[in-house]
Parts: sequence; structure tokens; C-alpha cells
Amino acid sequence: MNPLLRKLVRKSAADSAEVDALMREMDFPLVDDTDVTFVFRGTADAVYLRCWISGLDTTRPFQALPGTELWATTIELPKGSRIEYKLEVEANGKKELILDPLNDVVAHDPFGANSVCQASGYERPEWTLHDTNSHEGSLHNRHVESEVFRGSREVQVYLPATFRENRRYPLLIVHDGVDYLHYADLKVVLDNLIHRLEIPSLVVALIQSPDRLKEYGADDRHARFLVEEVLPFMNDAYPLVDAADARCVMGASFGGVAALHAAWRYPEHFGALLLQSGSFAFSDIGGHHRGPVFDPVVRFMNEFREHSGRPVGRIFMSCGVYESLIYENRSLVPHLQSKGVDLRFEEARDAHNWQNWRDRLRIGLSWLMPGPAWLVYE
Amino acid sequence: MNPETPLRLLLGPQRPVINLDSAVARSGIGDGPIGVLSAAWQEAEGDIDALQRVLKNPLSDLFLYQKAEQLFAADKSLHEAYRERQERLKEQQRLYRMRLRQLTIAARSILSTDGEPAVVAAERRHAISQLRALDQHHLRRIGKIHSRFDSLVNVDSNSLFADHVAELQEQLSHFETVLLTGGNVVVLINRLRLFGLDRLLREKNIIGWSAGAMVLCDRIVLFHDKLPQGRRDAEILGHGTGILPGIVLLPDAAGRLRMKDPLRISLFDRRFSPSICMTLDNGSLLLFAGETLRDSVAAKRMTRNGKFRRVRAA
Repeated sequence: MNPLLRKLVRKSAADSAEVDALMREMDFPLVDDTDVTFVFRGTADAVYLRCWISGLDTTRPFQALPGTELWATTIELPKGSRIEYKLEVEANGKKELILDPLNDVVAHDPFGANSVCQASGYERPEWTLHDTNSHEGSLHNRHVESEVFRGSREVQVYLPATFRENRRYPLLIVHDGVDYLHYADLKVVLDNLIHRLEIPSLVVALIQSPDRLKEYGADDRHARFLVEEVLPFMNDAYPLVDAADARCVMGASFGGVAALHAAWRYPEHFGALLLQSGSFAFSDIGGHHRGPVFDPVVRFMNEFREHSGRPVGRIFMSCGVYESLIYENRSLVPHLQSKGVDLRFEEARDAHNWQNWRDRLRIGLSWLMPGPAWLVYE
Repeated sequence: MNPETPLRLLLGPQRPVINLDSAVARSGIGDGPIGVLSAAWQEAEGDIDALQRVLKNPLSDLFLYQKAEQLFAADKSLHEAYRERQERLKEQQRLYRMRLRQLTIAARSILSTDGEPAVVAAERRHAISQLRALDQHHLRRIGKIHSRFDSLVNVDSNSLFADHVAELQEQLSHFETVLLTGGNVVVLINRLRLFGLDRLLREKNIIGWSAGAMVLCDRIVLFHDKLPQGRRDAEILGHGTGILPGIVLLPDAAGRLRMKDPLRISLFDRRFSPSICMTLDNGSLLLFAGETLRDSVAAKRMTRNGKFRRVRAA
């Protein structure tokens, strides 16, 4: 048993106030080298740890600690890991999914929030935090009139703090761009990396789909929208370098599929891709087991693996080792390299979530679009 | 309007602490007007209001970057020749980098190996000499590329070019002191060279911080050990103006260099010897009268054993 938990159990038998005080001083979950102990305090019929980590049970029961109101369960988590979870508390015949009341570290995503367990050795990168020295870029709401989607589509545009009309900028297009802003601190990251000259000053088009599982799932309409509508719009509205090498597309999950699909459908339009936990499901024979929403993705990936060519010159891929997509992502690496793509792949002890994608932005963006730090001596 | 023995005041980055004002006061440069070369700021060239608030001396920017942009816009063939030169320089740098990587790995291995002292010492010397030979070769190749460009450019046949050069000469004649800001060192040295200022500056008092100091050396050495993709081997970019020969200046060394890696520092020192590798961190100062060091604050020099020691004026 975790030594801190043992101490808590001992105190619980004597004095509840003392337990309160002790618990306020502790950081939960309790991390002891690679053992992580989750604790719940309260009345319940059963408590479960719920997390969606490939390789772990999605539901793990807590043990009630006799003579106390404490419940606990311990898992082994390799150093440097970061996982997101919830607690499921069963009482009076009702089950409720809740954030861990003892843990203040929370990650948000479009579906709500999760508690975050940071294993020994994980530290949030300092470049993801607001830096008062970094000059802040600006965000602008623009609208692209889309014939493809028969309506107006909002595009948020990030301009660097030092934006000047008389200069030409590279372009980054981000799928789920607004989510990247909200859940992966993309604006803070861009401000910091540009300030540190690790990436060039660039213009970023942040696109957001109202029906991403359809439009990002290897949908030809989306590729057309991107290349025939978003690109010309951006070229008209902003001073951009007019060259494929100066255009990068990025996306996570289905957004990664959309980026790869667009670059493949429209070769010579983009120079680089940043693909995070791409949903690159395929089948070598027979069907797949990921549900109907993946049908067009699997059809595309199967075709892509047969006739990929060299969609762009450079690709940065990342994927969490705690997500089932790790296998598909790994298998794509040698395939693309064999086609002459300059490819870098990074695995993380994390899962399919926004903070995983946030933590890989520096290495990915600075590799694909290196800044002038080497030449600038301020 | 030139001083008898020109002063060279070299500073580190002006962030977070500005020492430009106190350094100028300490140097004896006086409070006369100063011509500013902020071409290293590129499109932000000329934004010197903040600088003017720091210095008492009246400041005027010479707009070197802008003059070059005007010239390129007006003379397509010159611009094309310039771009072609830059492409060749990039290619030369890429090839140099490939060879440098292998020689650096070999030199590090030899420097860190144990063995029969006399045998190892000879191999170390040879490993360093190979690096130095590559650097020399690179400088020669760079020189040829520049010479080829220079032979294509005729100032007198281009009236705008001739006007800019004449205007710069005239502007410079009003200043005893010129200030070169930090920023993009490639842009700065290219613009200085384009308008022949590398020669004209020699007679002036010069204040230079970071990139503005680096261009005064005879060789410009690029370095950064803390890039997101990891450290890179220090590279020679090319010749500087040579106004201060025999030193290699390393602005923001504390921020850019792995200063506690004695092997790396020792290799750095030996490779560029007999030049002295000097740091210019925020708050530091080096003052030369001609080529003689007169004053030093917080600047350090690399040593053969991979450490740093303070630079002291004689």
C-alpha cells in the first residue's frame, strides 16, 4: 500500500479532522515511482476508475478500506505518462461519472472535462504557458463563402504580433482550429514559439467543421473546400508566400485524416503535414471493427496505402502509445518513408487527447517550419 | 567626421536589461549624433523610438534594408543575381554542414578518448586541424561566390544604386559614431557588403550589440545548442567586416550555448584558435580602441580546457 495512504488509513480510525488536514497537504492521485494510487473519500456502494487507455481495463474497481470512508486503487504507470480519467461512483442504485474531487488538475475537451493523472516524470512544457515576454498575436474572424458546402464558413485567422503587410508569410492550416485554441492552447504556443524564433512568423487559418466526422473522414468535398476555397481566400486576404513549401496543414484524429487526404487529392499544393494521432484505420483483408463512421476512412487509407505516391515532402507524425491508433500510425511511418517522404515520428506516453497534441506542437512545428533562431542574435 | 582612434563598443542582447546607455556613457563616445544601422531588424528597420528614449545622442537611421529592397524592386536583373548568390550560399552551407557533422563527431570522440598520451595528442591535433581545414575551405568557397556576384554588379551602371551609395556616404560623413543593432546577422552583413559599408565603417566609432557586434569580426560564427531539434555544430557563415580581427563573438552565450559541456567548449576554442572566443551576454561590454581592448564588463572567453574565464583589459 502507498505509504501516504497507509498513514491516512491509520488516522482515519482516530480523528476525521486530522484526516482532512492531512489530505489537504497531499497531491492526488498519490504517485510513488511507477505506482499511482487513486483515492476516493465518501459513502458509496462501489467506486470505479474509468479511463480509456489502450492496454488498460476501461473500468477498474476501487477497494473500500475497512474502518474508513476511503476507497483506493493502484495502477502501474510508466514514468513520463499522462492519462485522463473519471471516477464512477455507485450509490443507492445510481451510477455517476465525476471528476476526481481530490485532484485539481483537469483537462477540457469538446465533450467536457477529465481529471488528469501526471505520472512521475511528466511536466507540463513551459512553452505551453503564457509568457509575459512573448508578444501576443491576434485572432480575426473571417468568413469564406463556400460553393462546396453551400454557405458561409467561419475561419479564424491568427496573425503574428509583428505582422506587416509588406512582408510574405508562410501559411499553416489547422483542422479543428478553434478546438486547438481552446483545448491545446495553440495561440499561447504560437506566440511563444514565434517569440523564441523557433518557428517563423506565420499566418494561421483555423478551420472548424460543423460535422467533422463526416467532412474530415476523407471527404472529397472537404479537400476541395480547403484547396479551392480556403487557399485562394487566404492568398487574397493576406500576404503569403506563394509556394507549396511554405504551406503546412495539420490536424489531429479525423483532422489528421482530412489533412493527409487533402494533400493526397491535391498534390503540389502543400509542402508539409503535421499529423497528430491520425485516425488512419485500414484493413489488409476483410472489414474493420471501428464502426460505420470509419468506413470512408478505411476505404481511403486502403487506397492510399496502395497508391500513396509522395503526397508532400515532409511529414511530422505523433501518436500516444496509450491509444489504439498507435498501430496504424506506426505502420504508416515506413510506408511513407519508402516513398521518399522526409518523416519524423514521435510517440508519447499519453492517449488520444488535446494535451497530448499540445505537448507535441513545439517539436512538430519547429521541425516542419524552422524559425530563424539560428541566424538571429538579438 | 572621423575619430583619431576609432572606438568599438560591443554589447550583448539588450534584453532583459538595457546597458546601452550606461555603456555609451562609460566608453567616452560622447553625446554627438549617431547613425543607426538597424537593417538586421528587416521590415522593422527604423523603429528606433525606443532606442532614442534610451540614448541622449540624436539618432538617425540610414535605412539600409529599405534601400536594398528599393534597389531590388527597381533592378530585376540585380535582384535575380542576388537571389542566385543567396541560393548558392545556402547550398554551399548545406554541403559544409554535412561534412562538418562527421568531422565534429570524430573530433569529439578523439577529444574524449583515453589512451597512450603521445599517440592520442597527435590524433587530437589532426582531428582539430581537419575541422580548421574544412572551415578554411568553406570560407574560400563562400569568397568565390561573393566574388562572382561582385563581378556582375556595377554600381555606376545603375543610377539608383549609385545614388544610394552616394547618399549613404554623405549621410555617414555627418556621424562620428555608427550603431549596429542586433537581429538577423545574415541580413545585416549582406546589406553592409552590398553598399560597401564594410569598408566605410572602419574609420567610425562603432557601437554594436549582438549581431551588430558579430559582423565586426573577421569570421561570423553561427551557434545554438538549445534549439528544439537539439544542438547544432557551430558553423562559419562567412567573412565579417574584419574590423575587429582575431576574435569570435558569441552573443547570448548563456542562453544559446551548453556552457557546462567542457568537451564542446574546448573543441569550440581549439577550432577557432588563435582567435579568441568571447561571450557577450546581457549586461556585458567590451570596448576596443582600434584593435586594443580597453575595457570589459562581464564578458568571458573560452579556454582550451573547456571552461570560461573573465576577459580583462590590459
